[in-house]
Amino acid sequence: MLLLITLALIVALYFGYSYFRRSASPKELKPKNAELMKVLLNLDEEPLDQLFALYKQEFGTSAARYARETHRKWRSGEVRPNKQTFGRFFMYLPKVMSFDLKCEVLRELREEYLHKEQYELTVYTDDWKETLAPLVKEIIAKGETAQLPAPIQKKLIWLADDDAEVASAILVRSQRMEAEQNLEMLEKEFATIDHLLDNTNGKGKVTHLLKLPFGAITLHIKRR
Amino acid sequence: MEDNNDDLVPQKQSLFPVSAEDIVDNALQNLDEKQAREVTKKAADELVRIAVEKRKAEYRSDRAQDEMRNLITNANLLDERVSDYKINSTFETATGTTSVEIKKSRSNTIILIAAIAIFVLLVLVLLLIRF
Repeated sequence: MLLLITLALIVALYFGYSYFRRSASPKELKPKNAELMKVLLNLDEEPLDQLFALYKQEFGTSAARYARETHRKWRSGEVRPNKQTFGRFFMYLPKVMSFDLKCEVLRELREEYLHKEQYELTVYTDDWKETLAPLVKEIIAKGETAQLPAPIQKKLIWLADDDAEVASAILVRSQRMEAEQNLEMLEKEFATIDHLLDNTNGKGKVTHLLKLPFGAITLHIKRR
Repeated sequence: MEDNNDDLVPQKQSLFPVSAEDIVDNALQNLDEKQAREVTKKAADELVRIAVEKRKAEYRSDRAQDEMRNLITNANLLDERVSDYKINSTFETATGTTSVEIKKSRSNTIILIAAIAIFVLLVLVLLLIRF
């Protein structure tokens, strides 16, 4: 009896641990085809139209019609794409995609699978630059070297192609430029916040969520 | 050597560390003429996209600035007319979201003063009992 209870406990612990590992970091594990399809179909209208046009060109009108009709269900997860459909979208089409479309697909994958860190910081209106600078540098540096998770790279082998490497470099540079642009505009925003705190006689409390392409920082802003 | 540069916007420098740059250079060399043209076009498109985003962000920034000025005016008006108020506002700015809370609570101040008075009174009573 005791042996049975012990065995049951071991089995329960094993399955509990496996479940915990699975639920703790789902995106680190092997990505499901359906999940990748959702990411792909999340493209903006224009690249999505390009994708379906390419699909029609390569696989014919009837297959394209089916894909058009079903894509909302794939995106919502209501219907799971079969292996052939997944292969067409993710293995075959990237070989014939324009560089522009490949960049957009890659942008979606990076948006979904690159982890964006969240930070929190208290700054004063007279020292925010000095306080914020090291963290911003760290976030930008991390973002520039971030790679898509290994299981995705293994599954989507075209990511290792030369044009995908270049596409990735272009996207990284864009994100860096966007981050720098945001930081330049922060100067004006801090002047406004300083004015607000100054004119509310200590009754105001300000929090600013600074969004950067590689992460976000919640700033608790105070005035001396 | 420790990096003592505290500039918020990083200084312009090479886009990638040497090894990564090499990888990209090699990749670029391996592209055919059509692909190279597409790369150039995409890089230019991205610059345009970023410029458009900047313009949109500037618009958000101007609007947020006006709304914050209005908020200050409203808070000052309330300050003159009522003893208790709390305003919570959120602004979409160029770089993110600013949340502001302005609070004036006279009743809280009264409770605090009363608590301090009771405490002082209690201490005095205890001292009188003792001596």
